[in-house]
Amino acid sequence: MDVSYINPFIEAVDTVFNTMLSVKPRRNGVKVSDGQARGELITSLVGISGQVSGVVALRFPPPTALKLAGKLLGSETDTISDEVTDAIAELVNMVAGSAKAKFQFDPPLELGLPTVVHGAGYRLKYPTRSVWLEVPFSSDAGEFSMEVTYNPN
Amino acid sequence: MKALVVDDSLTIRRIVIKALGLVGITDAREAADGAEALKATQEQDFDLILLDWNMPKLTGIETLRALRQAGKKMPVIMVTTEAEKSRVIEAIKTGANDYLIKPFSPDQLAAKVKNVIGAPAGT
Repeated sequence: MDVSYINPFIEAVDTVFNTMLSVKPRRNGVKVSDGQARGELITSLVGISGQVSGVVALRFPPPTALKLAGKLLGSETDTISDEVTDAIAELVNMVAGSAKAKFQFDPPLELGLPTVVHGAGYRLKYPTRSVWLEVPFSSDAGEFSMEVTYNPN
Repeated sequence: MKALVVDDSLTIRRIVIKALGLVGITDAREAADGAEALKATQEQDFDLILLDWNMPKLTGIETLRALRQAGKKMPVIMVTTEAEKSRVIEAIKTGANDYLIKPFSPDQLAAKVKNVIGAPAGT
């Protein structure tokens, strides 16, 4: 399996977090994801379609989501509000957008509108043929992970 | 100077409005999609529009096309995750005055705004 497609997404996380949040994410390896949320997690997802199709997901424990949303919004918050959800959705939107541009497809890949899931112990169900790669990150704002599936059509 | 900030993300609207303050623009109205934006431009005049691309109801490029076809000549800066060269060219041909790719810093947005204010619009 060629896993090199994950690299533009990793670079995109680095660019988005540094530029918009002044947070430097540190990558902790790459592994195949089982989709299981361990504990309470806020997951933001966005679909990519075109010559390839895929989904990008960012998964945050609530304390990390609150810190990142606070940085993005310019005000601290201690509740997973609609504003926090919106901020987390925008992060995955920017990561997916930044990554898709690096693939240089013509016509460009299309992005869907982001979706956010918040809960505990849920599992993201993946289509049988899909392989999802998970990239765990640590940062000054806390731990989080990115999960990506990316398939030629 | 009155600005219209169009983005379906509340977060981005806040960031953009804060950045507009860096260049002294404090009178900003918000719209969450292209349809809202067109309605706003029918209700009042704006000196500047900051316009996202991917939005529900009416996309940014459709909104820009509708604005120019309606003869609206205010400067428009696209502020979007759409970073491909072909997208930038499409936007400029449709009438965008400048193009800012997300992620961006407040200083980058302020510089773009300074660049288009006073520039010939709708070209």
